[in-house]
Amino acid sequence: MAEEAELAADQHVRYIVTVEKKKDSFESLVMEHIRLNGAYWGLTTLDLLHKLHAVEAAEVVDWIMSCYHPESGGFGGNVGHDPHVLYTLSAVQVLCLFDRLDVLDVEKVADYVAGLQNEDGSFSGDIWGEVDTRFSYIALCTLSLLHRLHKIDVQKAVDFVVSCKNLDGGFGAMPGGESHAGQIFCCVGALAITGSLHHIDRDRLGWWLCERQCKDGGLNGRPEKLADVCYSWWVLSSLIMIDRVHWIDKKNLTKFILNCQDKENGGISDRPDNAVDIYHTYFGVAGLSLMEYPGVKPMDPAYALPLDVVNRIFLRK
Amino acid sequence: MLAQDLLGHFERILHADPLIDEVGFLHPTQFSSLGCGEAGDSSPQASVFQHRYFWCRDHKLAISAEILPELYRAARDAYYNSRNGSSQAANLMSHAKALLILCPDMLTAWNSRKMVLSEKYDLVKLKDELQLCALILSYSPKNESTWSHRRWVLKQIAEQHQDMAELVEKESVLVKEIAERSKMNYRAWRHRCWLIPYMTSKQVLDELKKSTRWCELHVADNCCFHYRRALLLALLDGHLENGEDSLTWESETYLLWKDELRWDEMLIRRYRGRESLWNHRQFLSQRWIQQLLALEETGPSTTSQVDPFITQEICLLSECLNDPADEFEESRVQAELSALYILWISKQVPALKGKLEERLHFVSMGRLKDVLVRACRPEKLRPWMNLLGLADQSQ
Repeated sequence: MAEEAELAADQHVRYIVTVEKKKDSFESLVMEHIRLNGAYWGLTTLDLLHKLHAVEAAEVVDWIMSCYHPESGGFGGNVGHDPHVLYTLSAVQVLCLFDRLDVLDVEKVADYVAGLQNEDGSFSGDIWGEVDTRFSYIALCTLSLLHRLHKIDVQKAVDFVVSCKNLDGGFGAMPGGESHAGQIFCCVGALAITGSLHHIDRDRLGWWLCERQCKDGGLNGRPEKLADVCYSWWVLSSLIMIDRVHWIDKKNLTKFILNCQDKENGGISDRPDNAVDIYHTYFGVAGLSLMEYPGVKPMDPAYALPLDVVNRIFLRK
Repeated sequence: MLAQDLLGHFERILHADPLIDEVGFLHPTQFSSLGCGEAGDSSPQASVFQHRYFWCRDHKLAISAEILPELYRAARDAYYNSRNGSSQAANLMSHAKALLILCPDMLTAWNSRKMVLSEKYDLVKLKDELQLCALILSYSPKNESTWSHRRWVLKQIAEQHQDMAELVEKESVLVKEIAERSKMNYRAWRHRCWLIPYMTSKQVLDELKKSTRWCELHVADNCCFHYRRALLLALLDGHLENGEDSLTWESETYLLWKDELRWDEMLIRRYRGRESLWNHRQFLSQRWIQQLLALEETGPSTTSQVDPFITQEICLLSECLNDPADEFEESRVQAELSALYILWISKQVPALKGKLEERLHFVSMGRLKDVLVRACRPEKLRPWMNLLGLADQSQ
């Protein structure tokens, strides 16, 4: 009989801390421009495994602020990189982990994000104008964490997200875009944050989402695709937000995620026996968190942060 | 010193051949097996570099993986130096291009190019930009930054009221070629859907016709079927470039829809257990039934088309349920998909529920719940029973 798989938490912590230090490895080089996202993935995972103290908070906060553009109020992916909402959200989320939102010029950052809302309620990612429902989620999440939602037209933002709803109950990147689990997470998250979940046909979407579970127990992102660990987060968190997570076989999904671990060197890959990376390590642990795996902190499905961090933000203020 | 020479050589090759349409990053051992390249550079190190690190012929460029980290660092540093200094735009563009070929995801480098291109409208330069994007997409077909930059370029051109028809045509062909090599590529197909508002209704109809064969050869690729749905919706809603009136149901669209339903059914019978085909049918049926019901209301004397349609769909269901089991489980999946298809029709068009149950009863298939119990995996039954408003039947 096969051994019961377990979460190799210590190895994953070691993997993350090591990768974080290796700035000059080729792996780091090709991720240079999205290092801020990498910081969010790595540090949130550490916090979920109760090991955030393994890194120097002050050092991290300093580095994050060096990615800040005071003229615009946005954050770039690394020092000297242009600002974009993608990295601005990661910066705010990491600062939340360390409870250091005090280092921010909150008005300026909020104005940067709010300034990217378009006439039709959609959000651009940066000054160059690309529209995507991912940016709607990012904007709403960022502004909500900073308690500055009033700076935008929330109703229009909601209307735009709703206009991206498809007949199959899912959501795409733009109106008429194909339903995709990642985009669905963004739209459901956006609606959750703005108290607008009533626009969703929960049964219809719940069905589309639970059909993502493959024979191997893993989840895919669209019909006929292979399972990938990152969908453990996007599909699962969406199902939790619409109260349909009991339609998924959690036991088999847990087994799938655990099978994607490199138990010797740490880290989690997209599917069993592939190379690991920070991105999938985070999504694997986050997925386990949503399924209340022992030893992993619970997470907020909409804000993608540990529950205690989110509570601190919203209950304290 | 060596790294800068490498970068210089690399940029000279790119400059010498602006029509390079493919780049490959090869393992050093694969390099020796390549034949003679062309001289794109007359510098002293050229021949050494050519045999070991770079190879270029017939617009195909190969770079040895051995030098990638150094080359990347050199390109990155050169790019930042020219960006932060008061370098000529040409230098900045050259360094940005080299950097982006190595790291297409570098948003900041794309932005620099946008800044330079924004200074003055130049159609030739914008078309070169499309060439650069196509080059990168040839080996990095899912790169979102590249697709996004491409859309920015197209918007610049569209804003100058250039005739988009030919460009849109070329874009669609490009996506098709990329989609062929990179299956179910969400980013590529999203781009193709993004083009639709720039199309005339004739182009939309052409796209439908042209993509039929492709879809038949890729029935597991949900993207192409979604694209067809987007095209059909564009015809219905009339949000098209030349502001033509949307086609009314009495015209071509009605026939188109009927054909599409028939074609989808043919594919469902031929390729069993394919989610994409059933998703497509759900979309088609829902709209079809809604339209038929609306027509019936306005013209009560016309014979009902809804009833024959239901009969036809129940017939399809029956066939799918009675298919003998096969070793690949396709019949089982097909049975489940067909049952769930009927379930969703009944939920999405409540007016139909009674007629569906009636027909099921007429052909001795029992009730909808019996169909579900028969066709669905036991562990999946509970949610479906809840949807039908029934108590848990599976335990």
